[in-house]
Amino acid sequence: MARRIGVFICHCGINIAGVIDVEKVAEEMRKYPGVAFATTYQYMCSDPGQNLIREKIEEENLDAVVVAACSPSMHEETFRSVCKDYFSIYRCEMANIREQSSWVHDPEEATEKAIKLLKATVEKVRENEDFNPIMVPVERKCLVIGGGIAGIQAALDIADAGYKVILVEKEPSIGGRMAQLSETFPTLDCSQCILTPKMVMVSRHPNIKLLSYSEVIEISGFVGNFNVKILKNPRYVDEDKCTVCGDCEKVCPVIVPNEFEMKRAPRKAIFIPFPQAVPSTYTLDREACLGLAPLTCAECRDACEADAINYDMQAKVIEEKVGAIIVATGYDLYDKNKLVEYGYGDDDDIITSLEFERMLSASGPTGGKIIKPSTGEEPKKVVFIQCAGSRDVQHMPYCSSICCMYTAKHALLYKHNVHDGEAYIFYIDIRATGKGYEEFIARVMEEERINYIRGKVAKIFREGDKIVVYGIDTLTGKRVEIKADLVVLAMAIVGKKGTKDIAKLLKVAVDDGIFLKEAHPKLKPVEALSRGIYFAGCAQSPKDIPAVVAQASASASKVLSIISKDKLEKDPLIAVVDEEHCSGCGVCISVCPYEAMQRQPNGKAKCIEALCEGCGTCAASCPSGNIEMRNYKDEQIEKMIEVII
Amino acid sequence: MKYWVKKELKPPHGKVYIIEDRCKGCGFCIEFCPQQVLQESEEFNSRGYHPPKLVENDKKCIGCSFCSLVCPEFAIYIEKEEENED
Repeated sequence: MARRIGVFICHCGINIAGVIDVEKVAEEMRKYPGVAFATTYQYMCSDPGQNLIREKIEEENLDAVVVAACSPSMHEETFRSVCKDYFSIYRCEMANIREQSSWVHDPEEATEKAIKLLKATVEKVRENEDFNPIMVPVERKCLVIGGGIAGIQAALDIADAGYKVILVEKEPSIGGRMAQLSETFPTLDCSQCILTPKMVMVSRHPNIKLLSYSEVIEISGFVGNFNVKILKNPRYVDEDKCTVCGDCEKVCPVIVPNEFEMKRAPRKAIFIPFPQAVPSTYTLDREACLGLAPLTCAECRDACEADAINYDMQAKVIEEKVGAIIVATGYDLYDKNKLVEYGYGDDDDIITSLEFERMLSASGPTGGKIIKPSTGEEPKKVVFIQCAGSRDVQHMPYCSSICCMYTAKHALLYKHNVHDGEAYIFYIDIRATGKGYEEFIARVMEEERINYIRGKVAKIFREGDKIVVYGIDTLTGKRVEIKADLVVLAMAIVGKKGTKDIAKLLKVAVDDGIFLKEAHPKLKPVEALSRGIYFAGCAQSPKDIPAVVAQASASASKVLSIISKDKLEKDPLIAVVDEEHCSGCGVCISVCPYEAMQRQPNGKAKCIEALCEGCGTCAASCPSGNIEMRNYKDEQIEKMIEVII
Repeated sequence: MKYWVKKELKPPHGKVYIIEDRCKGCGFCIEFCPQQVLQESEEFNSRGYHPPKLVENDKKCIGCSFCSLVCPEFAIYIEKEEENED
């Protein structure tokens, strides 16, 4: 029990001192029983501020410290590391008089509340006990969810560092969206040419276990010790035996749209999404196949010389233990059918940006030839519309970040293909913030003579064989009417379908149901709020390829900082069951979100130290009050409430 | 939705032959046809059963011959039509 408590009140510049009368608070606290010392300082978190605490602990012989400042999520660690040299870190507590008082109340009320909060914290620290951190073993392996460029880069970085990686991809092949792109801005590198070497590295890397056509279905555990269940869908083709000769594809009688080609090219029920797919194997689409149970058609099996096709393949659930998880689930385009003002869905000649990427791609449905889909002719006038669904309160309020750049690239590639063609780009502003981006835009505007029109398009409709685009040029104030052959919409980027489900499994937050929410927008941009889970790529926010690769490497380094250790320190502030009085009713077992409460052979509940996160749900639910949270004991909480009211 | 490819993939096509008087109306062929090409007709055959008939658009048959495999009376068979290369 602490008998000589020191109180340190931070001004936080004017954040606290501008509202709260800090001297009055210090004066009040000096009178409070158990408080041996109280002072104020301009910035307690600064080096001189920390030294002040050190000095006073020695001079005044303090045995506990209360710092009244900002939220403990900001500086608890700072002040505890100061106190660590003198006594247990649990003898250092913070009273949040900034977020919870000075920022939200009038001066008089704020001062009064600050005093109450401080008194309550003094009461708490008085009864705090000393604990040592719990050491938990670490599973030195990482799970990467999503095999796009983000997942590939993260997996390679971790595997190169010498640790095992499990890379899970939902589609038959890794590669993701980047594999669909034709060329990349601003250097116009062929997207597949720079991506496929990395894909091959993944398939060859001894430390990477690639599970394609698979989904994560269950995740439990905590940092260092996640238990993951992965459903491996049957592809009905043996990956090792398939030689990709294509004989099965020739005889397959079922024709369905190819998702990889944005459904603009057909494929068979047995298919390989693109020639460079990794793993290099055919996949039988169970939904499209004529029927497997009962087996209706066996043309592909009969044609397969390698004997790779097995209609009896079953879905498999693979269980893995990993120390950390990277989520790189990627993006989808905004639902095109919601853009009614742009007439999408009704017209063949109004297409999305990803469809245009496939049209430009040499391996795409048109073989790289730009066509007007309704007639197959070369379009002589093309209108590109930026911010289709982005920066629009009726659709998505945010900027999709990459559309300005890829639209410029689209227009440039169009001009290179159709020399006598005219290209128009409708834009709100041009956002070209990356390295070499502004120069690229300038080149497109000047050298390629693309017509940039600042303004939004009001309406698009068909007139004969032309698409009429109505808009306003806001620089001249004049109405613009363009009779185009082809309209390309730069669709807004949204989190991949299913992001919410993955987030639910991982118990991480999702911003407005669209993108994964990071722990701190500036200082923890790749971390989830739960420890051991990291984000990479467009699952977190729209970004270009360099940013995705950088973020993937960042999260890989975060993962390495966890799985490179043998043991992790864990907060010892967990639940403790009074076994003598436990009636064994099991309520705590049913409410614990971490499966930390377990029944012992004698029928009584027990808290598994390594699993408990100290949330307190069990303590609140125990009908006989026999579970206590360490350093949040009932007496402490009662006393705190008492001094506050 | 229109495909952008120059040469569209053509599914194979089969011609369905039904020997109506052999049919005992079990309906297996209708039930198991993966392309739903068949339906029960309203006419009776000589044995008093409703034999199957083609739905309006018989183009959907891709000639998998599963109907003849499941028919207990050998009353239905398919002839694959050769594709015209053009």
